[in-house]
Amino acid sequence: MTYLRRASPLHAARASVAAAYCAALVTAAFLSSHPLVLAVLALAVLGAGLACGVGSRVARSLWLSLPMGLAIVLVNALVTREGLTVLVRLGDGGPLGQLDVTLEALAFGAKEALLLVVVVAVAALASAVIDPDEVLRSLRRVSFRSALTATIATRMLPLLALDARRIGEAQRCRPQPPGRLAVMRAITANALDRSLDVAATLEVRGYGSARRPPRTRRAASRHDLAVAASAVALVALAAAWPAPFSYYPTIAGSFDASAFAHAAALALVALAPFTQRRGISR
Amino acid sequence: MATLALAGCGLGAGSRPVRVSLLVTQGFGAQTVLARQAPKVVGADTVMRMLERNASVTTRYGGGFVESIQKLSGGGASDWFYYVNGVQAGKGAADTKLHSGDHVWWDRHDWAATQTIPAVVGSFPEPFLDGYGGKRLPLLIECTQTASPSCRAVEDEFTSLKLVASLSCLLCSQYNESLPVLVGPYATLTPAPAAVKLAGPVSSSGVYARFEDAGRKLVLLDQRGRVVRSAGAGAGLVAATRYAGQPPTWFVTGTDAAGVAAAVQAFNAQTLDGHFAVAVIDDAAIPLPDSGP
Repeated sequence: MTYLRRASPLHAARASVAAAYCAALVTAAFLSSHPLVLAVLALAVLGAGLACGVGSRVARSLWLSLPMGLAIVLVNALVTREGLTVLVRLGDGGPLGQLDVTLEALAFGAKEALLLVVVVAVAALASAVIDPDEVLRSLRRVSFRSALTATIATRMLPLLALDARRIGEAQRCRPQPPGRLAVMRAITANALDRSLDVAATLEVRGYGSARRPPRTRRAASRHDLAVAASAVALVALAAAWPAPFSYYPTIAGSFDASAFAHAAALALVALAPFTQRRGISR
Repeated sequence: MATLALAGCGLGAGSRPVRVSLLVTQGFGAQTVLARQAPKVVGADTVMRMLERNASVTTRYGGGFVESIQKLSGGGASDWFYYVNGVQAGKGAADTKLHSGDHVWWDRHDWAATQTIPAVVGSFPEPFLDGYGGKRLPLLIECTQTASPSCRAVEDEFTSLKLVASLSCLLCSQYNESLPVLVGPYATLTPAPAAVKLAGPVSSSGVYARFEDAGRKLVLLDQRGRVVRSAGAGAGLVAATRYAGQPPTWFVTGTDAAGVAAAVQAFNAQTLDGHFAVAVIDDAAIPLPDSGP
């Protein structure tokens, strides 16, 4: 999961605004309990990913989160004792007690799984569209050393992944490939050598005595404003106009026009910043 | 498949128990919150599910613990407890299956004096009619004097309920799997291990009264376990408790023969209904815990 530089409104917006947009999507998901709204939010995140040119990354995360979602549905159905519509009676489950699988527990588990799907998709979107260096640059004034440490750490992780890939390819080229342990040993030794180099470089360049950098002013772009407005509207819409849906003791909620309108409004607000592509080069 | 079905497994809601009733009270039965003689039951419900179908309930810990019923929530030293056929269940309501004839009683009360009240008398004629935990047990009346009028009166009460009772002397039966009703002055019942509890603290017996002075004095306690009043000759008590996981033992007893006779007068569904235990002083039935003269 690394940053992918693309020409899109979300990439063009400053990192803090893009992060706020992603946080707003997650907040809207947590504020919504209606499955339709959550499903539409998941689709909206996928749409945002496609509009940013990172659709495949977001789609892959959706697939990856599905097994976890299924596990949530299964565990919730077996562990929760709530719900009045019993579908399957599994008898006495010892320490787990009376195992009755109810429709409500399944539905609530599915809702939680949908929530997880949205959160994972937003995380994938955030990792692909938010430049980590810019985030860390913005944090330099708050805590210089923490920002520096985080920068180095985030730089090291992709580097380690590259190392692993490179060594793995070399390993496959050999007539008798070494085992995983040997590869791990080589990567670890390499990383330790590199960390010493980095420490020496930082020392030589005087990072230890560095001071907090001065504030740099940057005018808000039209994309900053559009994405920020979308983030605020997402949270406001989700908080002020909730689509009611409860799961226990019985499922209460409907897929009526109001729910569809709420879901559509959230999707429109989430995707609105991507209609403005002026000033973005391909 | 048959084994699975017998183990309570299967598709759908399962078979519905009949003759189930639900009572929700607070303050040790002092105030009725909800009473349903024929509550809504769907399939093989648990006690919790039946409650949720018939009352407004909020739960905690994944539905395993009742937080509030009809917007009356627990808190501080007060919480919801439940009894099925007058017996406190050893497991959570979400794990307790309903059986035909079950009288489910939820009560919100102060547990400062004791958190465990193993058995109550307010569901009479349960558990004698339908047992508890889906198992019906034989009824055994143990009297210190089997020919005494009190002993016969208790037997007659069961006969009027079309219940067949075995009559025997105290501790004469070797059969442990029965529902015993001990009848006689308290001083004569003390060879029974369960009776010893009635002279101990409320945390041991679950009865808000205790016998003192070798059974010659009956002390009534309030819901905090404090002494409210005491009575000597002629005081009676109808109560139930459990000893070491055995079936509940009922007592129709008193400080003396007159006290036992007074307790026998209170030994009927009308007097016991909705009370944890009942003391009789000067011919007046006093629900326990005692709220004061």
